[in-house]
Amino acid sequence: MIITLGHYLALSSVLFTIGAAGFLYRRNALVALMSIELMLNAVNLTLVAANRWLPAVQGDAGTVSPPAPSGHVFAFFVIAVAAAEAAVGLAIVLSFYRLRKTVRTDAADMLRG
Amino acid sequence: MNDASQLSLTQSYGPIFMIVAFSLFIAVTMFTLASLLGPKNPTPEKAIPYECGSESTGAAHVKQSVKFYLTAILFVVFDIEAIFLYPWAVLFQRLGVTGLVEMLVFLTVLTAALVYCWKKGALEWQT
Amino acid sequence: MNLVLLLSPILIPTVGALVLMMLDAFQKEDGGLAMPTALLHFTAAAMALALWQRGVPSDTSALHGFLAIDKTSLFLDATIALGGGIASLLAGGYLAEHKLDRGEYYPLIAFSTAGAMLLVSASDMLMLFLGLETMSLGVYAMTGFRRGSPRSAEASLKYFLLGSFAAALMLFGSALLYAVTGHTDYAGIAEVLHAAPANAAADAAAAIQVVTRSRISILAMLLIVIAMAFKVGAVPFHMWTPDAYEGAPTSTMAYMSSVVKAAAFGAFARVMLAVYGDAASAGSAAGWPAMLAWVAVATMTVGNLVALTQTSVKRMLAYSSIAHAGYVLLGVIAAPREGTGTTAYASVLFYLLAYTVSNMGAVGALILAGRRGAESVSYDDLAGYARRHPAAGFAMTLFLLSLTGVPPTVGFFAKFYVIRATLDAGYTALALIAVVNSAVSAYYYLGVLVKMYMRDPAPGAALASPMRSGYVTVAILTAAVFVVWMGVMPERWLDLAREAVGAATAAAPSAATAGGNAAP
Repeated sequence: MIITLGHYLALSSVLFTIGAAGFLYRRNALVALMSIELMLNAVNLTLVAANRWLPAVQGDAGTVSPPAPSGHVFAFFVIAVAAAEAAVGLAIVLSFYRLRKTVRTDAADMLRG
Repeated sequence: MNDASQLSLTQSYGPIFMIVAFSLFIAVTMFTLASLLGPKNPTPEKAIPYECGSESTGAAHVKQSVKFYLTAILFVVFDIEAIFLYPWAVLFQRLGVTGLVEMLVFLTVLTAALVYCWKKGALEWQT
Repeated sequence: MNLVLLLSPILIPTVGALVLMMLDAFQKEDGGLAMPTALLHFTAAAMALALWQRGVPSDTSALHGFLAIDKTSLFLDATIALGGGIASLLAGGYLAEHKLDRGEYYPLIAFSTAGAMLLVSASDMLMLFLGLETMSLGVYAMTGFRRGSPRSAEASLKYFLLGSFAAALMLFGSALLYAVTGHTDYAGIAEVLHAAPANAAADAAAAIQVVTRSRISILAMLLIVIAMAFKVGAVPFHMWTPDAYEGAPTSTMAYMSSVVKAAAFGAFARVMLAVYGDAASAGSAAGWPAMLAWVAVATMTVGNLVALTQTSVKRMLAYSSIAHAGYVLLGVIAAPREGTGTTAYASVLFYLLAYTVSNMGAVGALILAGRRGAESVSYDDLAGYARRHPAAGFAMTLFLLSLTGVPPTVGFFAKFYVIRATLDAGYTALALIAVVNSAVSAYYYLGVLVKMYMRDPAPGAALASPMRSGYVTVAILTAAVFVVWMGVMPERWLDLAREAVGAATAAAPSAATAGGNAAP
């Protein structure tokens, strides 16, 4: 059995689906945050694996250079932004908790109509 | 195509499977032997959580001060930003002056954020 | 230097936000940052216009394909900066009146504006993501800015969770596109996607079979469309919109409903046209315009019908912003059509600017009607308001008429151009539905006017009276100038929008034509 890009894509799709399902079905804001992180990690896996399987670039004079590491760089940015997002998200969850003494998302029911 | 992708599953992951199997074997054996051979003589004293030998106090769940949260979040954010330094450091020679200037701009922005946190009192422990 | 010039509309709010941050950190007492923030935004708008006048530098190689600085993005930059400037002024009045005036708000607005500009200029999935998150993170914080209010916390929690979920969907879509094409830039992705199958199969580089590639690219498109539908608040992904708008401080609501929407639509139109804009994926019955047509119908209808039942003006404006997203979608649907598409795209830009000023004005008028401890949010609060305060009532009337689409306000022409573009593209049924919806929407907008001019307040009820704030007055006057100006000479403004997209169509879809050439 040869591991191909397809396997990585399948794995990351499964991870992404688990994350999405966790986000949609769990009613705890912190679990929702973790689910989002899982989804982002599935994205990172896809990016890095895809970059690994990119073909080498054929130069003009028959030179062969490795593919541009844009997938890896993208993954870096995803990680950095995910950290910022988690910081803002936790601050929001915390301020919600301070006022409502719970982190259940089904407690967020004041705005209706 | 890359070399690694040509290797078969057993070739590339064989050692890992062996380690996983071996450690599973050791762990399962140890626990089985311990529960089969060990004497069982429970007392209330033995059932309480172990806390370095001294009497345990308070509930198992201790409320952490929100100060830890703030510090931790600041740490995570600034720590993660450091990932951009590593690729730059590796390619320092090739990126040259342009890379240096760009990194200085990046670090200036980070410093501005740090100064902001400082002046806003986010780094004070006693508040 | 060329790079700095190209990026100047984005750099001004970015650097400005850092300066504002330092000002906020070092100043002794809060307040006083509204004017610098507004000036910053108006400077950015002026810079975008100056760059437009001067002619966009043709050598954009310094951007390495990450950003497209063309007239389309400059038009949207100016729209965003104008909206952000008005929102800063509104914040200056609103936050001070309601004892929320902490300095953090202003750097957040400026950062969000920078993100919004990045978003509309993005021509690479990475920049699209960065812009989206930079914009959104600021807005999440601004939504929860009223820290003592459970409603504000709840609004920001809902907005944050769904917004991050949408961002993750969009990211997975772009990661899948990268996996099948090896590119993150729109042009590169489009080139690989549109290459003729025979070509791609012969391409030794193809790591994935062509069939799989097209299937995955459709999945990626679905993910990106869903994420963008979340961001613009289109049905069925609109459920966060009314809650987030209602719970947020009203000045944040102004920003979210205008600037964020304009930026998201600008990016949405650009990514769909640049990546999936060719005849193969946009022209056929199974293409995304057909799918979006259903979304547009649902968005207009649900937005308008639910808006009818609201008792809170703030919530009514939230549903009306959903309905307006539906009208803008019409233009996006018509945009990939050959021939008439350019005008449709221009009508989208026109609509976004028109909606930004009309909606900013309407929310501004609502802010004006509320004093500390007595925010006017419901229809009943406004009973008799216009008779007691004719000027403030007239301002509200003007903007609501513009949102309704009554000539000679700009709202009429915005709707007219979009519906005309829909007709030109051959979507007669869609245009009819839009007209009917527009008529329905008149009911709830005019309901506010009836309350303001013809009803007496319930005995003993608090009388709404306008707050005194130079900031809010200036903001409303600015919005009013644009509403009237654009309403009086709409053709002039439509020509500007046409010029904006003309430049884009010359530059952006070159990849699509390259793919088309390779086909035979």
